[in-house]
Amino acid sequence: MQLGIFNFNMKKLFLFLPLILLGFLTSCSKEVKIDIPGYVEQLVVDGSIQTDQPPIILLSNTQDIYAPTNFTAYLNSFVTGAIITISDGTNTVILDEICTDNLPPGTESFAAAVFGIPVDQLVNLHLCAYTTFNTAMWGQIGKTYTLTISNEGKTYTSTTTIPQPTALNSMVWHPAGGFLDYGYLTGQLSDPVNEVDSYKWEIKRISDPMYSKPFNPFFNDQFFNGLTFNFETQNPIEDMSTPPQYKGYFRLGDTLILKMSKLGRKEYSFFDKKFNQIYSAGSPFATPLNIPTNITGGAMGVWVGYSPWYDTIICE
Amino acid sequence: MRIYLLLLIFLAISMVGWSQKSTLSGYITDASNGEAVMGAKIVIPSLNMGALTNTYGFYSLTIPSGKYLVEFSSTLFPKEFREIDLSENLSFNFELGIKSQDFQEITISAKQGENVNSTKMGQIELDIEKIKTLPAFMGEVDVIKAIQLLPGVSSVSEGGQGFYVRGGGPDQNLVLLDEGVVYNAAHLFGFFSVFNSDAVKSVNLIKGGMPANFGGRMSSVLEVHMNEGNNKKFHVTGGIGIISSRLTIEGPLVKNKGSFIISARRTYIDLIMKAAIPDSSPFAGSSYYFYDVNAKFNYKIGDKDRIFLSGYYGKDVFSFKDKKGGFGVNMPWGNGIAALRWNHLFSNKLFMNVTSTFSDYMFKFGSQQDQFRFELASGIRDVGGKVDFSYFPNTRHRMKWGADYIYHTFTPSSVSAQSDSVVFNTGSAQKLYSHESAIYALDDFDLNEKLRLNIGFRYSMYQHVGPFTRYIKGDISKPDTSINYSKGDVLKFYHGLEPRLSLRWLLDENSSIKAGYSYNYQYVHLTSLSAVSLPTDIWFPSTDKVKPQQGWQGSIGYFRNFKDNKYEFSVEAYYKGMKNLIEYKEGALPGDNVNDNTDNLLVFGKGWAYGIEFFLKKSVGKFTGWIGYTWAKTERKFPDLNNGNIYPAKYDRRHDLSIVGTYKLNERWTFSSAFIYATGNTLTLPTSWYIQDQNLLYNYGARNSTRMAPYHRLDISATLYDKPTKKVTDKATGKEIQVKKNFRSNWSFSVYNVYNRSNPFFLYVDSNGNFSSGDFKITVKQVSLFPIIPSATWNFQF
Repeated sequence: MQLGIFNFNMKKLFLFLPLILLGFLTSCSKEVKIDIPGYVEQLVVDGSIQTDQPPIILLSNTQDIYAPTNFTAYLNSFVTGAIITISDGTNTVILDEICTDNLPPGTESFAAAVFGIPVDQLVNLHLCAYTTFNTAMWGQIGKTYTLTISNEGKTYTSTTTIPQPTALNSMVWHPAGGFLDYGYLTGQLSDPVNEVDSYKWEIKRISDPMYSKPFNPFFNDQFFNGLTFNFETQNPIEDMSTPPQYKGYFRLGDTLILKMSKLGRKEYSFFDKKFNQIYSAGSPFATPLNIPTNITGGAMGVWVGYSPWYDTIICE
Repeated sequence: MRIYLLLLIFLAISMVGWSQKSTLSGYITDASNGEAVMGAKIVIPSLNMGALTNTYGFYSLTIPSGKYLVEFSSTLFPKEFREIDLSENLSFNFELGIKSQDFQEITISAKQGENVNSTKMGQIELDIEKIKTLPAFMGEVDVIKAIQLLPGVSSVSEGGQGFYVRGGGPDQNLVLLDEGVVYNAAHLFGFFSVFNSDAVKSVNLIKGGMPANFGGRMSSVLEVHMNEGNNKKFHVTGGIGIISSRLTIEGPLVKNKGSFIISARRTYIDLIMKAAIPDSSPFAGSSYYFYDVNAKFNYKIGDKDRIFLSGYYGKDVFSFKDKKGGFGVNMPWGNGIAALRWNHLFSNKLFMNVTSTFSDYMFKFGSQQDQFRFELASGIRDVGGKVDFSYFPNTRHRMKWGADYIYHTFTPSSVSAQSDSVVFNTGSAQKLYSHESAIYALDDFDLNEKLRLNIGFRYSMYQHVGPFTRYIKGDISKPDTSINYSKGDVLKFYHGLEPRLSLRWLLDENSSIKAGYSYNYQYVHLTSLSAVSLPTDIWFPSTDKVKPQQGWQGSIGYFRNFKDNKYEFSVEAYYKGMKNLIEYKEGALPGDNVNDNTDNLLVFGKGWAYGIEFFLKKSVGKFTGWIGYTWAKTERKFPDLNNGNIYPAKYDRRHDLSIVGTYKLNERWTFSSAFIYATGNTLTLPTSWYIQDQNLLYNYGARNSTRMAPYHRLDISATLYDKPTKKVTDKATGKEIQVKKNFRSNWSFSVYNVYNRSNPFFLYVDSNGNFSSGDFKITVKQVSLFPIIPSATWNFQF
């Protein structure tokens, strides 16, 4: 089995048939302008905390479906000036607002990855995230973190817990059939019994600044709870220098860092439904799906705690 | 108890004046092929009394003894008269002789006054011969598309087979093929009907005032009867069209005693695709086809007994291959239906029909990506039986009673998955078993010259039985638990009384007022994820958790015939209340049975619908046709959907108009056209978007709050018949004479969507580009299915 498949989740295969049909059908589509009533602006929270890392929170507002979609509109959708606190039950910290036009040295590439904007453009923009340099509020396994956001007179709250990590039994490189220099990874996972386990999967070459992830990096143990099984995985790293025939394979001689994070069941539900929506959005064959949130107070989005487990693999 | 009392009262009423009367009874058949003629009219003009034949061509008429001139006729046959001496009970079978070439001229003469006189409300019979002259999509004559042209009936979507009757769901229509239940009446994702027009004898739609002999569905009954087969001579009918061909063979098993008919059809879209997709293409091997076979046998054992065996088997197979992506899908689905019936005449007044039925619907979806295989199957299997008695004590009463029973086996979804040799735990296939039964009695009787009543009661019962495993889902903090039930355990027993009433008050010879009330229980449900009808829609039974749907309908109408019955007009208003309707939870995706039941994904609510229907029909003359207009509204309220607020049903349409016209220019040319206009369907679209982790996500607005553009379309057709006769030289006289041709053929030309309107099939929100490059754009797009499509079919018979 390939990891890409169980990311794909068997349920979504059920949606695949309609998508094939959709492919045939959308060939005869045209743009229309019809009335879509009911837009209300809502706050969107995109927050995470992981072991040994500071919390990072981005705030934005939802946009009307017919609102302008140019770059300025995107920049204007971010929310600044909110008051955000995080509590671990003992300590409470007010987060700092860090903006891209005033980034602490060494954080540029990280910020570029968070916003998806190249560094040279980013430093000329005013986009802000909320975080803290107080290491007392950096993520610790087993702790529960409460997020409180005050914005324009409204208060939003959420909690998340960093679960225990799970390690892979093994992860090794094999040459792919027909290639000498490129191959795939095979791994073995023993899923813990008697609990619902949710995972996030990322990988990078040791020299890469940031991790790469498959289109949907999330999966859970619905179909393999308590099982030990082998799987194959493809390379999600986008590299223009890789010849097209080797796309999806790992190069001989590379050193890879694998990051497999665990997350809570409720938080997983956000990502599961999010990718369900991405797979089926617009399809008439699926019910319209609003993504659930673990934020109270009328906001959208997620506040998630991750506990990563790392492995170094030398492709040899 | 009340039912027995009422039966006794009816019997007592019917006893009055029994003396000095005799009964004329028998079967009416078509002289050319021996087929029973249903709805044939037997009239005693001197008494102004008459009777109609039932589905099996049987009639019974009890009148004062004496000599009478009796008139026999039907929609396809002109009046014929016979002098009959009815000094005692008489069994009189009659063959209606000369089939008129110009059936349209006489269609209504036989049915004269039916529109005004009968207690039938919201009931329409369509003549298959007439349906064959209507414009046909891709040349495929389609009974379901024809009924979608009637007021109160709307199609699910462009070209779709699903239909909604008076604001009810597509699962609320009881579709019967020779009394066997059809669960999926569609081929090709709904674009074609499973009913092969060559095998169909008649189509009857009941959309309101459902008589007590029907039940199990809330909105309507669509009865399709198959031809019996010519019991006099062998006969072949067929047609060659642009996407499919069909062939029917019929003939006597034993002359005048028994006959058979076998009708088959197959599409050749797969062959066209094979030619269109080269072997080198990664999609080579992708194909689609369907076929179906109808067969029927009947045999007269004696004067009093007759047996019929009807069967249908049809299958659709869709396969998609993408060799490049290592991906393949194979998806077969289909119905198998069989019905064995036995007619028995206990006396010239008491007719019995015993039916045993089998119905099977299955849907499979298999996919493979590299070493990973995934299969999903869903299905329903019914085994049932019923017995119906028709009793004709005198001309004032037409009584029926009976009982039916079905054993259902549902497999809502069975999933299996494996990667190489590792088989994943997807749970065992869950099957649900249930018993459904009912008893009923009804009497259609004339209280006086003006008032006719049809009173009926139906008592239905339903048991959900084991084996079954009920999974109880805990919330996030609690573990899931389950309860195991063994074979025969009764999980739940539902039952209820379904009263039915319709009445007709004759205002004068040409007009009447009718009213109806019906209450229905429905124990099976169709759960649909999609905005359009698909084979992936899953039939689901009532369980300990899913209550039966219940609904009532009240309707009142004014019926009038004009110009010597050439025109029929009616206006009917209705209100319908429904409860225990089901929908999937927001965001639900069925697919696996791992410690879960499908009904844990369902939510329950209620609905209502009301509307007014206008219908004007001209059935006589060179120009025939109808205009139907409906104003309607249908809404739903589910506590767990749309924040508990009322929302319009997805098929809520304010206006529905259809205009259908047929013009018979001469013996050889007939022209038809159909125009429809309908308010656009509702749907749910995103009202806003947001970005999370660089992914674009949508936030959907109120359920069904967006409405698509109106739907309208014009179709036209022309049929060119060959000359019915040919010249031959009479050997005796040496003169040229005209004789009837044995081989007959016609060309049928159709144009679908004449003015090439891009009607909305669905809308979706599309996004392209990205923010950083400044070309990001969100647009609402409309998908349209069928542009203008001309087609031609060549039909033949010999």
